[in-house]
Amino acid sequence: MNPRKFIIAFALGLALAAGAFMALQMQTPSQPEFALVLPDPNPVPAFSLVDQHGAPIDQTVFAGQWDLVFFGFTHCPDICPATLQVLAAAKAALEEQEQAPLPRIVLVSVDPQRDTPELIQQYVNYFGAGNLGITGKLEEISKLTSGLGIYFEKRPTDGDNYSVDHSTAVLVINPDGKFSALFGGPHVVDNYVNDLPIIMGGN
Amino acid sequence: MRIFILLLALFLSACGAPEPPLVVSQLEISKPMPGMQMSAGYFVITNNTDESTQITSVSSPQFEAVEVHETTISDGVSRMRELEALVVPAQSSVVLERGGKHLMLMRPRDLQDSVTLQFFSEDLPVLSVTYSFSKDERK
Repeated sequence: MNPRKFIIAFALGLALAAGAFMALQMQTPSQPEFALVLPDPNPVPAFSLVDQHGAPIDQTVFAGQWDLVFFGFTHCPDICPATLQVLAAAKAALEEQEQAPLPRIVLVSVDPQRDTPELIQQYVNYFGAGNLGITGKLEEISKLTSGLGIYFEKRPTDGDNYSVDHSTAVLVINPDGKFSALFGGPHVVDNYVNDLPIIMGGN
Repeated sequence: MRIFILLLALFLSACGAPEPPLVVSQLEISKPMPGMQMSAGYFVITNNTDESTQITSVSSPQFEAVEVHETTISDGVSRMRELEALVVPAQSSVVLERGGKHLMLMRPRDLQDSVTLQFFSEDLPVLSVTYSFSKDERK
């Protein structure tokens, strides 16, 4: 083989190898970069609460669609609206990309003493249509949170006022009503836009 | 005499306008959401003096109560606490931002298009700042 033929053969071989590598790369499904995906999704524990219209609901409310679930309270002016704003913006961006299905945004109150269904309704509606708000008896909320590894605790501030310490995680619940992934804070719109199609497409 | 005036002019221009001891900038207040009794305020406060100072209270004619709070997030848990005072060290700025220190504005009263805040400190004059909501927020 003369040197010229050798170079051509070598270049051809390299091109083939590169092509094969790229084809392999394209077949490998991408992984979520920011969310923690549970290898074995957990069913949402049984509970008996009410939605923002005061209608009774239980764990079956999570079946049938993808849900992004945040635990917060309406008397929280800083981190709670900021998180819901991020979820709403991510949902809007996914809608723009014609992503289907789109997730539902759910707020579970960790302050049922103050969060009446009416208040929760005004709160969730502020962040867009189709959102779900959940409140009800404290012990029933605890059933839901403890089963999902969510922490919250009431903290007196001054006088009769109090704040509620709470986990900042946003949980992804799949259409089977199973907790399947988790976004830890800080919550960033692009992280959701990047990971959600992968998580929701992989079911 | 001419030289004196020239020197005086030089001296004055070097000084510029006297710096206010306390400055609040980048003020941003979110309008309470429909039905909600509270809102948050964010800003940068700068102490131009050579002495550390602390903001002991903030008040507003548009809110029944104003408190300085701090959100801290550790181990995935968000906690909010009231700060007794907001310390602003000499020749320094303190940033109040989302997910950190912030003003908690409670129980609005006759809230229209603007919010006036008064900052009370230990030894500096009361600082009054007014924030106007953008047109988008007024609807």
